[in-house]
Amino acid sequence: MKIRRIGIGAIALAAASALMLSGCTTSAPDQSKGNKGTITVATTNEATSFNSSTPQGNLDTNGMIVYLTGTAGTSAGASLGGFFTLDDKFQVKHNDNIGTYEKVSDDPLTVKYTLKDDLKWSDGKPITADDLLVGWAIGSGYYNDSTIDEATGDVTGGTQYFSLAGSTDGLDKTAFPEVSDDNLSLTLTYSEPFVDWELANLLDKPAHVLADKAGVSEEDFIKTLKDTPKGDPANPVAPNATLKAAADFWNTGYDFTSFPDDKSLLVSSGPFIVSAYTPQQSITFSKNPEYKGSDEPAYDELVLRFIGDSNAQVTALQNGEVNAIYPQASADTLTALKNANLETFEGNQLSYDHLDLNFGSPVFQDPKVREAFLKTIPRQQILDSIVTPVNPDAKVLNSQIFVPANPEYSDAVAASGYDSFDKPDIEGAKALLAGATPTVRILYNTDNPNRVDSFQAIQASAAQAGFNIVDAGSPDWASLLPGGDYDASVFGWISPGAGNAALAQIFKTAGGGNYSKYSNASVDEMVNQAQTELDADALSKLKIDIDAQTAKDFYGLPLFQAPGLFASNGTVDGIKFFGNQTGIVWNAQDWTLKG
Amino acid sequence: MAAYIARRIGVSILILIAASFIMYVLAAGSGDPLRDLRGGNAANEAQLIAARVSALDLDVPAPLRWFLWLGGAAKCLVPFANSCDLGLTLDNAPVATILPTAMVSTLQLVTVATVVAIILGVVIGIVTALRQYSGFDIATTFLSFFLFSLPSFLIAVLLKEFIAIGFNDFLQDGAAIPAWLIVVIALVAGLIWMVLIGGSRRRRLIVFGVSAVATGAVLVYVSLTSWFLFPGLGPVGLLVVLAGVVFITTSLVSGLANRRALLASAITAAFVYIAFFVLQGLFTISSAFTLIFIAVAALVVGIVVGFLVGGSDRGQAVRAGAITGIVSMLLVFLDRFMQAWPSYVESGRINGRPIATVGSGTPGLTGDVWVTGIDSFTHLLLPTIALLLISFAQYTRYARAGLLEVLNQDYIRTARAKGLPERTVIMRHAFRNMLIPIATIVATDVGALLGGAVITEKVFAISGMGNLFATALGRTDLNPIMGYFIVIAIVAIAFNFLADLAYAALDPRVRVR
Amino acid sequence: MSQGMLEVTPEPHGPTGDRSDAVAGKSQGRIIFDRFLQNRISVVSLFVLVLIVLFAFSATGIGPIPGWWKYDYRSLNDQAGAPTLSLWPFALGEHPFGQNRIGVDYFALVMRGIQNSLIVMVVIGGLGTVVGTVVGAIAGYYRGWVDAVLMRITDVFIVIPAIVIGAVVGQTAGSGGLGVWFLSILLALVSWMSIARLVRAEFLSLREREFVEAARVAGASDLRIIFKHILPNAVGVVIVSATLLAASAILLETGLSYLGYGIRSPESSLGLLISDNQSAFSTRPWLYWWPALFIVSLALLVNFVGDGLRDAFDPRQKRFKRRKMREFVEAAQPQVSLKAPKSPTS
Repeated sequence: MKIRRIGIGAIALAAASALMLSGCTTSAPDQSKGNKGTITVATTNEATSFNSSTPQGNLDTNGMIVYLTGTAGTSAGASLGGFFTLDDKFQVKHNDNIGTYEKVSDDPLTVKYTLKDDLKWSDGKPITADDLLVGWAIGSGYYNDSTIDEATGDVTGGTQYFSLAGSTDGLDKTAFPEVSDDNLSLTLTYSEPFVDWELANLLDKPAHVLADKAGVSEEDFIKTLKDTPKGDPANPVAPNATLKAAADFWNTGYDFTSFPDDKSLLVSSGPFIVSAYTPQQSITFSKNPEYKGSDEPAYDELVLRFIGDSNAQVTALQNGEVNAIYPQASADTLTALKNANLETFEGNQLSYDHLDLNFGSPVFQDPKVREAFLKTIPRQQILDSIVTPVNPDAKVLNSQIFVPANPEYSDAVAASGYDSFDKPDIEGAKALLAGATPTVRILYNTDNPNRVDSFQAIQASAAQAGFNIVDAGSPDWASLLPGGDYDASVFGWISPGAGNAALAQIFKTAGGGNYSKYSNASVDEMVNQAQTELDADALSKLKIDIDAQTAKDFYGLPLFQAPGLFASNGTVDGIKFFGNQTGIVWNAQDWTLKG
Repeated sequence: MAAYIARRIGVSILILIAASFIMYVLAAGSGDPLRDLRGGNAANEAQLIAARVSALDLDVPAPLRWFLWLGGAAKCLVPFANSCDLGLTLDNAPVATILPTAMVSTLQLVTVATVVAIILGVVIGIVTALRQYSGFDIATTFLSFFLFSLPSFLIAVLLKEFIAIGFNDFLQDGAAIPAWLIVVIALVAGLIWMVLIGGSRRRRLIVFGVSAVATGAVLVYVSLTSWFLFPGLGPVGLLVVLAGVVFITTSLVSGLANRRALLASAITAAFVYIAFFVLQGLFTISSAFTLIFIAVAALVVGIVVGFLVGGSDRGQAVRAGAITGIVSMLLVFLDRFMQAWPSYVESGRINGRPIATVGSGTPGLTGDVWVTGIDSFTHLLLPTIALLLISFAQYTRYARAGLLEVLNQDYIRTARAKGLPERTVIMRHAFRNMLIPIATIVATDVGALLGGAVITEKVFAISGMGNLFATALGRTDLNPIMGYFIVIAIVAIAFNFLADLAYAALDPRVRVR
Repeated sequence: MSQGMLEVTPEPHGPTGDRSDAVAGKSQGRIIFDRFLQNRISVVSLFVLVLIVLFAFSATGIGPIPGWWKYDYRSLNDQAGAPTLSLWPFALGEHPFGQNRIGVDYFALVMRGIQNSLIVMVVIGGLGTVVGTVVGAIAGYYRGWVDAVLMRITDVFIVIPAIVIGAVVGQTAGSGGLGVWFLSILLALVSWMSIARLVRAEFLSLREREFVEAARVAGASDLRIIFKHILPNAVGVVIVSATLLAASAILLETGLSYLGYGIRSPESSLGLLISDNQSAFSTRPWLYWWPALFIVSLALLVNFVGDGLRDAFDPRQKRFKRRKMREFVEAAQPQVSLKAPKSPTS
């Protein structure tokens, strides 16, 4: 009896086990999927958004995504699936895979964009002039009736629809565009000349996706754009619900923290499309099946891995976990790469470090104190410790506007006289100070070793002349910069390499990037002229004059052009240095895997 | 007992609440969560600030805001309701959804590191105590302190340089071990065994010779067959290893003299050996749950066998059977993992360099439980080593000091005097008492490891809890900081609780009240 | 069963060998000191440790008093780079430890770093041990609600890792970072928990011993029992944990510096130097290895000194040899009962 019970129990147990086991097994996986042809690139920062044109999305890795998938818009500019890219000399290169655009008239400035026939978004929907119209609507701020406080940049009234990291300058001077009957071309007419007309890429996020998110059909969305009048800040009206819904989605809907379920966020016009994302680890691009351009990549997948630490990037490259890296350039990183027999690609970045004096601070109201302080800056020593080991030919940068590669550079140096501040002149500084010992608080990024080195060098040198230097550095320097609670700052400007938008931002009174509260009426005047100057020589002249005038006011000192560094372990052909913030992926479409 | 546990849980919750308040107020005071917006150049700054203030209740002072947070967090206690609300990050992502992904790799890291550190530390501590002031003792003390004194990011650099890159180069060069290295390793192994086993000069020489030759022979075999490229135990190897498991388990648990325990252990191992052949087909389609189930089944078989053959001294036979069952089954799994190794190494995403230096997984790698298991192993190997070295030294020191202390107690002298074999003296009398201080420091040590993970994760670019915390703290992103805190606090409390239970079990003088 | 007073009434012919300190008339401190002197490794370690301390403090000076080294740890010099130290023939050269990236003398930086790291080490090791011991002793001695309250407070602190508190407070302190003293006191206040738990555990078992009972019967006050009778018996575990705490203190500070919340430049600490120069690992290794060398030396020396101290306080553990012990036990079977320690005298 007992034995039987045990027997039944055993059978029941076995049956239950079998059932449970069958429930927990998986089918045998298929390994058939071709795993050949993946290129992995390390980047420092994580990806956070598919839209790099918004203030919070304007980060370098997001810019790479947008560049590769092509939905850049006017704010981000160059992209593989847009109207133009930049070549390695920063010359605008029209991208005939998408279409053409040309200036049809100088006065008034008229530009005609024409899309290639039969282009498709990655979800199979056609790319038409409707998409260009949406791109224009986003980039021009045509419908905004907002009033913006010049001093703080805040909206004080009315509605601002699309929130751009860049400005609407230039495109805000265009009338509602004309669209051709075949719905493939669009013509923009500017009310005044615009120097950077070639940098207006009208292909932004797809019209059909934005329309869908606004809850209307694409036709209705375009109709809304056509019917809504131009915004007038003087007479703000109630916001248009459809436009507002689309804009709100564009502003925040593309931000992600995990791989989105909604595949319409991924829609691409370029050669790549985002196919996977692991939070804080990597983002994977595969080929866009609908892309018909000539620069289709010769490999299956491109993976961007996020590795914050430069040393970790170097070992990962050495170990073959990534094929190429884009680390912060430093002498040690470069030597480590060379010691490990890895391929390096060095060059100058389109960014320069500089020391700015805060004109809003009481210490620097006196030009003599400004001059004395600038005289103590050991620019040659800073260069020698930071840049020379990476780039032995580097020279101290002597212009706030040009880099040595520009033809205007030598004229600018002659006009500005920045080269007289090469070596510190402690005696001269002491004479100007006449016994005073001003306290100077310097803001810089404590997380960037180059800035820390610059600060320490300045601190040691300025102290000799009697300055009392206070460390006001912070890892959050960027957010402290506009506040003005410091006397001088050391940081870098990055420019896209083409265009003149930065002039107004940095040097104009209350400009968006004029953190040092610099104000000079004649500079303002020249900056305004430069924005509408279409003649290249006259433009150069204006820029040299601006450079010279800021030098006369002891605006600050340019320090050096930042060195840039790519490296690969020899498994990928076609990597080439490029100093723009697109970084290493700028020619990813041309890469090939060896072997 | 149940009342004790209930009260402990109650007290733990109170501790958690008190600590979370301290943490919340401290973290809230550490910076301005609106800083990035205030500094940004967005035109709709005021609107963005207003949106964030209302989303995160920033207008409520921190001590009061903590109540709001606590209210949301309390909902996590409701089982299966899925109503957990740990607040939003600055980017409006719910913390409750980003936490689980971050948790997995960190908990994996910390758990494995803790367990390995305790086992290694205790074993080495015992050996150094038994061989006090021997060359082995001094060398181990020196080495463990040397490793302990190196910052973990420095250890990480060394590990990457020598273990990852070195080993991968070795694999790519055909996995042939150079002759001089075989000789050196064989000699070192011989020396270690000699010191460990000790005895008269003649016995030492024999031990040295035998172990050096045996090590050398194994290495030559490994080198000639490129074992590291195509590893595996195979039926013969597994049989040998299982015999070893039976032998060691029995001698530690009961001594080989206990024939019934030996029999239980051997029968269990035989069952597992049969299962090794029977289950191969099932393994191919297994998921992680299948494996857990099989391991539990092996444990149960061991217990049942021990119970049936145990006779009068059932306890020891059951213990021997259970340990043999689970260890043997894990070895069978290990063999299956090794079988999957070549396909992993040669996969297009690995390209013959398996040991990784960054991340917690290969992006885009797909495969069965074996391949993904190996992928986790190759990625977490180095960070785990870097992490466990933090606490390893501590455990060896406490184990050594503890055992020395215990060995000088009268009861040990008494036990020796009554002629008990050394194994019984150490395992039965000394070992238990030595573990008491170890159990005490486990709780604090887990806290230290969780803290250490912040750095380890940064160096190895692993997106775990530590990374989450470091990023969030930099932006004064309060809710993820608190999410991180809650998880590590619960882990610390859980280990604390386990330590107290172990403490009560080990030291009869401490009553569970 | 009592063993508490072994050091006062040592066994006449115990298995532990040398008993030279058992001379009547020596004070307990003297006995401990003499025993410590017998441990050669510890004495040498202490000597080297003192040497490093003197060297570091005299080189860069203390506060306003200048040191003998010609360079300041804050001043820039012309770039040279590699170390000029040569051991044979011995010469310091211009920059014995080389220079860092921007040309600051690395010897001055390392010496200053040793100073600060020693402060961190001593404050955390000392203060942490004192707090932990007091809390643990009181909790373990009194038991009951005192124990419950103190241990729950301990639990609250255990739950928050020291590095996390340090990071949060460092973030609050902002750009200047915390000063060395404030940082180390703060870290000490969050690193005493493991010692408290260990001491409490020791006290829980020691308070049940006969010699404590005897002291109580003899009318000793609680404080006297705690500090005069029980604590000396728990000193082994306290010293082991104090040395580990001191060694881990350097690492805690190193970790905080790595995360950017510890001591900040232009101040110097060994941890900061290592984390600042980690990218120099394969290119300018001296920037890495000098501070690493001193971190490892300090931790090892402190540990060896601690080993010696523990042996000196607790002679039962000295020179224990299992083989000798067994031979002894086998040879002297009948004497075992005689060898039970004498009962306490106080």
